[in-house]
Amino acid sequence: MAASEPSRYLARSLPRALVPSSRHQALCWRRNASDQASSRSPSAAISDLESTSLSTSVSDDVVKSFKPIERARARKTQLPRSRYQFRSPKYDRGPLHPHRPPPPSDPSSRVFVPGPFSLPRVEQTWQSTVASDILTLLYVHNPPGFKPPPKAPRLRTWDESSPYHKNRPLRGPRGGDVLRLLRKPITFNNIPKIERITLHSYVKKAATENSSWLHVAGMALQAVSNVKVETFKSKTSVAQWHIAPGRDTVAVKAELRGENMQHFFGKLVDIVMPKLKDWQGVKGSSGDSSGNITFGLEPEEMALFPEIEVNYDMYPPKMIPGCHITIHTSAATDKDARLLLSAMGVPFYGKLVN
Amino acid sequence: MRPLSPVLASLANVFRIPITRAPVRPTLTNEILKSTSPRSFSTTSALSKRKEGYRGDRRILLIRYFLHHPLTPRPLRFSRTRFLRHWTIHRAWNLYQANQRRTHELELQRQWQSMQAACEELRTGAGDGGKLFRKSMIKTGVFRDLVPIEYARLQTEGPGREGWNHEWKRD
Repeated sequence: MAASEPSRYLARSLPRALVPSSRHQALCWRRNASDQASSRSPSAAISDLESTSLSTSVSDDVVKSFKPIERARARKTQLPRSRYQFRSPKYDRGPLHPHRPPPPSDPSSRVFVPGPFSLPRVEQTWQSTVASDILTLLYVHNPPGFKPPPKAPRLRTWDESSPYHKNRPLRGPRGGDVLRLLRKPITFNNIPKIERITLHSYVKKAATENSSWLHVAGMALQAVSNVKVETFKSKTSVAQWHIAPGRDTVAVKAELRGENMQHFFGKLVDIVMPKLKDWQGVKGSSGDSSGNITFGLEPEEMALFPEIEVNYDMYPPKMIPGCHITIHTSAATDKDARLLLSAMGVPFYGKLVN
Repeated sequence: MRPLSPVLASLANVFRIPITRAPVRPTLTNEILKSTSPRSFSTTSALSKRKEGYRGDRRILLIRYFLHHPLTPRPLRFSRTRFLRHWTIHRAWNLYQANQRRTHELELQRQWQSMQAACEELRTGAGDGGKLFRKSMIKTGVFRDLVPIEYARLQTEGPGREGWNHEWKRD
């Protein structure tokens, strides 16, 4: 773009007669990588493309019935002009507004994201191998006509021993107040799958020193993940670091889905994990008991990602952040998620806690 | 009145031609007389006297520039026919993907149903009172041993014949 600027000004300053038309074929010295060499010679290309459509003869009745003006007049409502360009409204003002943005799947929408443009290796592996493996490993046979015995309700009622029990909310489950996710038997329609990956890094120095730490951390995460990062303020107060809740922006997060996620996971498993020194694997007790596994990477391990490695000089070395990687799977329990991840190439060590 | 050009103004100053406009700059004498600070005379301003102008890291400067660069593309705007073409391709691509997904789901369902049929046959028709079936339903070790790391490899175009370097030793 910058190279074409002087010529534009030059053309404007010179009298029009001296400057040949910029559309002229011979002057078109710029060639993009996308167009072929043959497309520069129009006659050959046209004869190549349109030989059939030019040579075909149209029958007479078709020619006679072709009346574009009458057809246009017969229309109840006029078509938009050929140059008509639909501009999606910026804001959705609700169902009663006459002018609403199109759905995000529509190419004219402002939030339309084209793609996916590649078939990531992770997706392919899951489809061809991992899904049927897990399906086989976790198959539980029930004879036809089998009905599982009804279970007790998870939220218990109060025994009416006291008059104060009336209208109380139900009691929580035994052994804690947490209602765990229900694990349904794994069949062909609920095979665990990676849903999204969250990269998160807490940058302490962003509060104690200056914002450049946060910016470098965000840039590193963006480079690794191909997703715009979000920043977060501290929710807790850390007295030693002089961090106050709601005041200091201390964390960056990137949430990967779809294609970005698959490519990131592929890089993580294929490139970064084999290079980690003295790394046993992900700890077996990791996980939030609902199918999401978290582990962390140190700053020097983050630098092993190819995007950072090839451009290592771009970042001040001490500012490269470590990060937490949370892999959210569609499994309802940690053991299913661990089975899925181990089938995808993530090693686990230690006692496996569910 | 038009402001004088700098050249004319300096000429007027040199030749002491009185100009009706008040001088923009305070004269040097006034400045010196008014200033009571003990600063020694210098034409260099305090900011440019500092050794370097920007003390930060140039890499951080660049990172900040690119981080805050608005890269949001404008929405696609096409004329009628081009939009229709685009929309057609988009719909066709979505349809193709949906078909592929559907095929994959059906394939998994087929596998599951044939597993079920095989297990039912093993349970009732094997003639051993269902012993083999009971053996096959034991799940110990599935969640404990997980998938061996040698098998947990992502697919590649040309996988190695060995798949695992058994001779590898830590240096």
